[in-house]
Amino acid sequence: MIKFFIDSKEVTAKKGESILEVARREDIYIPTMCYLPKATAIASCRMCSIEVQGQEGFVLSCNTPPVEGINVITNSDSLYHERQNIMKLYNVNHPLQCGVCDKSGECDLQNKTLEFDVGEQDFAVRDQARKKKKWGIHTYDPALCILCEKCATVCNETVGNEALFIKPGGYKSHIEIDLSNCIQCGECISVCPVGAMASTDFKYTSNAWELDKVPSSCAHCSSACSLNYESKDGTIMRVTNESDFSSLCGAGRFGFDFENRVLNKDENAFNEAIESFKRAQNVVFSSFITNEEAYILNELKKKLGFNLVNEDARLFGEFMKNFSTTASESLYNATIDDLKISDFIISIGCSIESDNPMIKFAASQAVKNKKAWVASIAPVVEHDISNVVSQYINNEVGSEEAALAMITDTFIEDKASQQTFFDSLDLGYLSGESNISEEELDLLKTKFARKLNPILVIGEDVINHPRAKNIALLAGYLQKSELFKVIIVPPSTNTLGVSLICDLDKPQDGFSVGYNAPADFTLSAKGSGDLDMPALNQQEGTFVNIDKDLVVLNAAIKHHGYELNDIANALGVESENIIDYTSKLGFKTIEFDDLDNYYDNVGNAYRGYKIESKKNRKKATLDEVEELAEYNGSVVYARNPLRQFSSFTKDCKQLDAKLELVGSEQFALASKIKSGDHVKFSVDNVEFSRVFKLDKHMKGTVAYNPTFDMDLKSSGYRYNQVKLEVINE
Amino acid sequence: MNQEQFNDRNVSDDGYLKVDIADYPTTPWGRFKRVVDRTFKLELFVGLWVVLREMIKFDIHTVKYPEEKMPIGPRYRAVHEMKRLWESDTERCIGCGLCEKICISNCIKMDTKIDENSRKEVSEYTINLGRCIFCGYCAEVCPELAIVHGGEYENASDQREHFVDFAQMLTPIDTMKEGKQLEFEGFGAITPHEDERVKKTPLAY
Ligand code: SF4
Ligand code: SF4
Ligand code: SF4
Ligand code: SF4
Ligand code: SF4
Ligand code: FES
Repeated sequence: MIKFFIDSKEVTAKKGESILEVARREDIYIPTMCYLPKATAIASCRMCSIEVQGQEGFVLSCNTPPVEGINVITNSDSLYHERQNIMKLYNVNHPLQCGVCDKSGECDLQNKTLEFDVGEQDFAVRDQARKKKKWGIHTYDPALCILCEKCATVCNETVGNEALFIKPGGYKSHIEIDLSNCIQCGECISVCPVGAMASTDFKYTSNAWELDKVPSSCAHCSSACSLNYESKDGTIMRVTNESDFSSLCGAGRFGFDFENRVLNKDENAFNEAIESFKRAQNVVFSSFITNEEAYILNELKKKLGFNLVNEDARLFGEFMKNFSTTASESLYNATIDDLKISDFIISIGCSIESDNPMIKFAASQAVKNKKAWVASIAPVVEHDISNVVSQYINNEVGSEEAALAMITDTFIEDKASQQTFFDSLDLGYLSGESNISEEELDLLKTKFARKLNPILVIGEDVINHPRAKNIALLAGYLQKSELFKVIIVPPSTNTLGVSLICDLDKPQDGFSVGYNAPADFTLSAKGSGDLDMPALNQQEGTFVNIDKDLVVLNAAIKHHGYELNDIANALGVESENIIDYTSKLGFKTIEFDDLDNYYDNVGNAYRGYKIESKKNRKKATLDEVEELAEYNGSVVYARNPLRQFSSFTKDCKQLDAKLELVGSEQFALASKIKSGDHVKFSVDNVEFSRVFKLDKHMKGTVAYNPTFDMDLKSSGYRYNQVKLEVINE
Repeated sequence: MNQEQFNDRNVSDDGYLKVDIADYPTTPWGRFKRVVDRTFKLELFVGLWVVLREMIKFDIHTVKYPEEKMPIGPRYRAVHEMKRLWESDTERCIGCGLCEKICISNCIKMDTKIDENSRKEVSEYTINLGRCIFCGYCAEVCPELAIVHGGEYENASDQREHFVDFAQMLTPIDTMKEGKQLEFEGFGAITPHEDERVKKTPLAY
């Protein structure tokens, strides 16, 4: 704690806080141009200069920590002139094109130019010819760029892609890109304070002030990131976010046009739906659903007695139940924010790159800021994130249980409580079967030394694993041991919420109704079923995200058809609005309208509330590790390309949807196929037909098989041995 | 016709004609007397005679609309016009959307898009004249002197919603080529002292 004064007001700084951060927390205004709270201070603009009483010269408040007892002066004549001069320099040769610029109305340069009263310009430089560049989803106009470096900073640090960089050259300096590194996330667009980095699709279509802003949560993956849908005349034009504090991946930012447009209520289909519910044996649904709708389905189940089926959430719930018996509490204890400040990360069974992009964003920040060691235990090597992953540990397909057992054995010192388990481990055998060598584990152990915030990331591969139970027990045991914090990645947007709210069953034979899942009678938000439902950007409700936060969803577009609540009302589960259920979900009894959804001045998120972990007094013993099934020949891994998650992202016009089986040369050789071949194969009785694409960077005999075109993705183990059949014409 | 007589509002006392009218009756008896007077004095024919007399004299003071029209002042605010640039004949409007924003009766609606040359282009532009109150705000806010109020005030229509779109308002290209686009000193135009108010933005070359 450091006590000091800002404009004679006494304030205290925490360790590591800069003067600017303290000022913002205390609501004291210091102008900035290049400051980006979520990243390391860039210190390129000098706008944040302050004076320290009794000392000569200016100090940059954004990257200077306070010293005990000083009095910081945030405003004086000389500071005003300094800042005014900076604005004058920014304005030299800045095109006078606010009239057409997309940023007009929310432009930092515009605002600060007016704030510092730069009405005329007394000096000039010969301008350069500067060409606009088009880089896919973003367009760069160097003439508008003020070289604040925010875009390059997010790209390198927050996203971890190192695509953008500054091409130095004095007055000719500009931003350049290595397009092969760019993942088209649009973070650079969101932080640009001027109109230089702009969205290609949005460009010149609307002005900032014409758009209706609806704060909501992203519906595509379990991070449920905070975002704003911005719409004009009933069409979403773009998605923005609190870019100072939070991030979005490309799917969230550009995959917003998945609404289901219906013109009116289809009464016949509605009546059919009611009848179908009445005689349904099963009601199957996906986890792209709000808590309130899941609650309604559960109430309907109580009333009508059908089997409520959601394999994805049921398996996840099962996993959490087992986890809690060794962890002694119902939930895992880490969040994405913890991951950002972690210094040692082990991920097991997770596609760090694409399962949940925020995991990768966070890992990148941990690597850049905390020098974190990131180990990825998986049968595949995701080469695109090699600048984030420090150590790839390639286990054999199916051997995740053995891998986690070996990790547990390596890190746990006090083995007394689970002695039988540790005694039963045949490390030599496990190492042989899983193909994880002792050296790899030793390296991991060495890197672990003196780390303060280690985190274990548990991915979808092991949640849907044949040996999920013991893996869950091991993960819980590791959390309980306090060696690691644990984060478990829910496979779909609201898997966690559904697993907490619904009492789920295994499917049985008989007539079934599906909600965003194929069935005899289907309610679909894709518009492809028997009755149209509102999509997740047309609904009010809540999700429980990976951080165990209950977050708010608001409707950006009107839906003119029926919604699930209408069906529930007709079936006797009555309530005027669907959000009346928010306070009844079984968490906190806060009404929907009273839920917060904002960021404060320093970036603390007030989004809904955190679901509390419950104590679990059951005691479980770890099972022996079972012998492994072998996976030979061609193995495909159900893994979506980045920016694709489900049939909802598939048709978004700004997201490319390549349905390709991507594999290595070795895979091609082993399967006797070549790049461009059309192949057919089946996984869990579902037939896939894909074009094979060779990826020179990939290794091993596992190929990626996208599943985002499936109406309901399989909840089986994600690796499958397949027989490929070439069906070229 | 000269318009000074219309703009001149300094009417002196001499010009007034005092009319001598009796007060209205307040008692029932008074009212009864007035009815009787009006009925039997044939006042109607007095008026008719005046009309007839003036007709025969052929000294007519009314404007014979629609053959004859009154000239209007430059600051008159009638149906909008869209101007073109003298240099290139292209439209002046840059699609900034300020007119749409400022319009207090919400009757301007426009859409913009990016064109082949990566410039902003107006793709739709209409003014609902049925709602327009001809306040002139759009013309005043326009940074490009693109939208101005013209003198065309005849916009009767059999449609309640009478739209004007961009193409109708824009100076026809032939008129432009002939150099016949009219500049207005009227609403939305630069003021006479504009030169003094322009600020420095020096160019070094
Ligand atoms: S970047 Fe800002 S100041 Fe520059 S033209 Fe655009 S709106 Fe105007
Ligand atoms: S879109 Fe994302 S990855 Fe691409 S340059 Fe921008 S920040 Fe970097
Ligand atoms: S493009 Fe925008 S964010 Fe990037 S340096 Fe230029 S002004 Fe800053
Ligand atoms: S897809 Fe996931 S990571 Fe991307 S913006 Fe949406 S919630 Fe966030
Ligand atoms: S204010 Fe002028 S330039 Fe801007 S859109 Fe309207 S007419 Fe066009
Ligand atoms: S905010 Fe400190 S230098 Fe830009």
